[in-house]
Amino acid sequence: MLDFFAIFSKGGIVLWCFQGAGVSESFTGPVNALIRSVILQERTGNNSFNHNALNLKYKLDNEFELVFVVGFQKILTLTYVDKFIDDVQLHFRDRYKNELEQRGALKFLLNNFEFGEDFHNLLREAEDRSKAKGPVPMKNFKESQKSQKTVKSMIETKDGDKSKEQGGKKSKNAKKEGVSGGDQTKAASQTVSKKTVENGSDGLTAEEIIERNRAKFISKQLGGGKPDKTTSKSPKPQKPKGKANRVWDMGGRNTGELDYSGSNGNNYSDAQTQDHDASAEPLIQVDSMKGDLRGVDYESSDDDDEDEDEEVEEERVVVPDTNKKGAKKGGFGGMFGMLKGLVGSKNLTQDDMEPVLDKMRDHLIAKNVAAEISSQLCESVAKKLEGKVMGTFTTVASTVKQALQDSLVQILQPKRRVDILRDVLDARAQRKPFVITFCGVNGVGKSTNLAKISYWLIENGFSVLIAACDTFRAGAVEQLRTHQRRLNALHPPEKHAGRPAVQLFEKGYGKDAAGIAMEAIAFARNQGFEVVLIDTAGRMQDNAPLMTALAKLIAVNTPDLVLFVGEALVGNEAVDQLVKFNQALADHSKTDKPRLIDGIVLTKFDTIDDKVGAAISMTYITGQPIVFVGTGQTYSDLRSLNARAVVSALMKA
Amino acid sequence: MDEKIHQDLEDFSAEQLLESFIKEIQKEEVVFLIGICVALALVILTVVFFGNFWSSSKARNAVLLLGLCDSGKTLLFTRLLLGKFARTQTSITESSATYKSKNDRGSSWTLIDVPGHESLRVSILEKYKAVARAVVFVVDSSVFQKDVRDVAEFLYSILTDGTVAKNSPALVVACNKQDISMAKSAKLIQQQLEKELNTLRLTRSAALSSQDGSVGGSVYLGKRGKDFEFSQLPGRVEFIECSARGSKAEDGDIAGIDALEKSLARL
Repeated sequence: MLDFFAIFSKGGIVLWCFQGAGVSESFTGPVNALIRSVILQERTGNNSFNHNALNLKYKLDNEFELVFVVGFQKILTLTYVDKFIDDVQLHFRDRYKNELEQRGALKFLLNNFEFGEDFHNLLREAEDRSKAKGPVPMKNFKESQKSQKTVKSMIETKDGDKSKEQGGKKSKNAKKEGVSGGDQTKAASQTVSKKTVENGSDGLTAEEIIERNRAKFISKQLGGGKPDKTTSKSPKPQKPKGKANRVWDMGGRNTGELDYSGSNGNNYSDAQTQDHDASAEPLIQVDSMKGDLRGVDYESSDDDDEDEDEEVEEERVVVPDTNKKGAKKGGFGGMFGMLKGLVGSKNLTQDDMEPVLDKMRDHLIAKNVAAEISSQLCESVAKKLEGKVMGTFTTVASTVKQALQDSLVQILQPKRRVDILRDVLDARAQRKPFVITFCGVNGVGKSTNLAKISYWLIENGFSVLIAACDTFRAGAVEQLRTHQRRLNALHPPEKHAGRPAVQLFEKGYGKDAAGIAMEAIAFARNQGFEVVLIDTAGRMQDNAPLMTALAKLIAVNTPDLVLFVGEALVGNEAVDQLVKFNQALADHSKTDKPRLIDGIVLTKFDTIDDKVGAAISMTYITGQPIVFVGTGQTYSDLRSLNARAVVSALMKA
Repeated sequence: MDEKIHQDLEDFSAEQLLESFIKEIQKEEVVFLIGICVALALVILTVVFFGNFWSSSKARNAVLLLGLCDSGKTLLFTRLLLGKFARTQTSITESSATYKSKNDRGSSWTLIDVPGHESLRVSILEKYKAVARAVVFVVDSSVFQKDVRDVAEFLYSILTDGTVAKNSPALVVACNKQDISMAKSAKLIQQQLEKELNTLRLTRSAALSSQDGSVGGSVYLGKRGKDFEFSQLPGRVEFIECSARGSKAEDGDIAGIDALEKSLARL
């Protein structure tokens, strides 16, 4: 009934495989999908995976670097599969222990792993076992666990009721002393039901119950109440007497400073002063953003980063050498054998890793990684390391930390090519505009980062059209218009073949955003703009009508890139936002291959110090890369993500 | 008599010296002795492994098999080492083995198969790029037209890496899967890659000309002002066609990797 079973090494060589009768297609496709989506995305905590009509279960053997995968039809619910995989794994290891303990990758190729007979035997056993257990009959009350419990454990009380509880107990015991064994009716109203239940419990007569309760009661009185009971109530805070006058900083001193009407008001007509301001801006350096974006870095210069990489490399080269040395030494004579035994190679078990993983989980949460993501990550690392043989001179903590660091870097590495400039060049060659849409919740920095990205694109010689599809927020269109003016002032049209570098396409407020976007794209195609940046209104992920509107905009206009803008300050909310945004986009699209979020823009990165966990949460949930990182509020504060720097900041104590 | 006394004295003193030495040792505590032995062992250990480390860092003797996912690296690895066919899946970790090259000198080096998956290739490449003597870049010739950008980007990131540019290992581009009828020829692949790398040069390193090379420390490929060609690279570059699977069915033993083996023999 199994479709296939495969045993292969982590290096990729299939050691043995079995294909069920009547199964024509090879299992390579589903297994590759399993590897990509589960193992390589660090979701190994959950050990089953669905691919089309197949359900795949797998098990990693970290000591010998093997993977065991079984696949069966999703509609069959086979209960014996989990235990079956474990049995097969143990059996395979025992049988081929010698071959597997050789060193090097050639062991997988040179040896012939014939496993067919054993496999069929194990399969037959497992099937028989599952058939033997018939349907389970329902338990009656006496066998249930509830009858075993005392009434006390089932009472849910808040702290304040403890005193009442004590009092109630006292009265109940007093009553019980006066009452003979089987008399159930004389009881306080509160205790009637409890008594009947208690007397119904198995094997204990009423007297024994009384004794037990009395003992409990006495121990409770003697053992002392909880410490917070003794301090009855916190002392009332001293209320300040009377009312103090509120003191304002600029209190009525100089109202002239507060008058902004002269210099900056009425922007519409002050185009010239605007341009002067912009060109006199000392902080903006034109031509500083050509080419690819610099990475976000934590060290002061890239040289430090390179040195660190070299050191890390040296460490890595050194450790395998010490492994070799340790093994060699173990061969010479008894004294060195004792040494090897002291530091020796042992397998990692779940218990060994438990305390370290707990600490790591708390550390990650302290660094602003979402709580469920931290626990999933730690589970995945535990699965990857279980049974692995530690090298000499390495502690459990260092192995776990290294594994966690590797998996974090792996998560942050983009799974596809992230090169916006290259794609825009392609679109230019095809004479159609490259459309980027920005979506996100309120206040994360969509408009600001849109302006930064258009500055970067202009620096690299592309012409940009900004589509103001935020028709809701007051001042959204004006904000974009101001950005357009400043950008044009910084890049005068003379340098861009006589046409303005950036133009704004807007239709005022209150209109349908999807319609404006479609018109903007048509306009760009006619006028030969190379990039269209669509700014949408911020919306909460729970707001169903707004999410529908966004999904419609994306489904109708099919942009080349859908970027989700998220701020780095967000904590557990990131998970919810991304899941709901993706859900809405998938639900409301009419095609069977819906356009989901393609990339993430991480904003306000300069406000978090080293609590960079939001990057991990977002990439883990969507599997999409972080395309831009916003590190400030001026035009040049745009970077690309440097995975190593972020992970080192994350793992720093 | 005096001589005899002297002789006796000498014998006596030598023996007594030895005995007294042994007694001295035995008088000391066992822990102290073990401490001395452990210290000695550690000193020997450090000296030996430093010597090994020092010598190994001088020799670059690894050949890396790089390429996109599903380009046939693991099968090529198996073919080169043993000449036989093995079913393969996506690799999760790297595999390394010693390869005896088929030239007169009979030199041998380490052949390392690096997983092609995007999230793994960078970190594993970091580990082995310093000891790389040659890079075999495996390309899937049948789907090359679709993947040309990804292939070029990977190749670009390898060639502009600081360590790789400094060591300039030999580059062999193996256009694999020639047994499929839609496979492109090596010449076509070379031309397309040159064009693509030319464009990438512009988009990736235009920043270099305005800021003096402090951006990422990356390298400018080829010569400025002229279109990029592989002949402009400092190391040796070769494009060869091969087929790891072979013209026969799955279990066929004949594979078209002769050209690849000859090229590797020349290293």
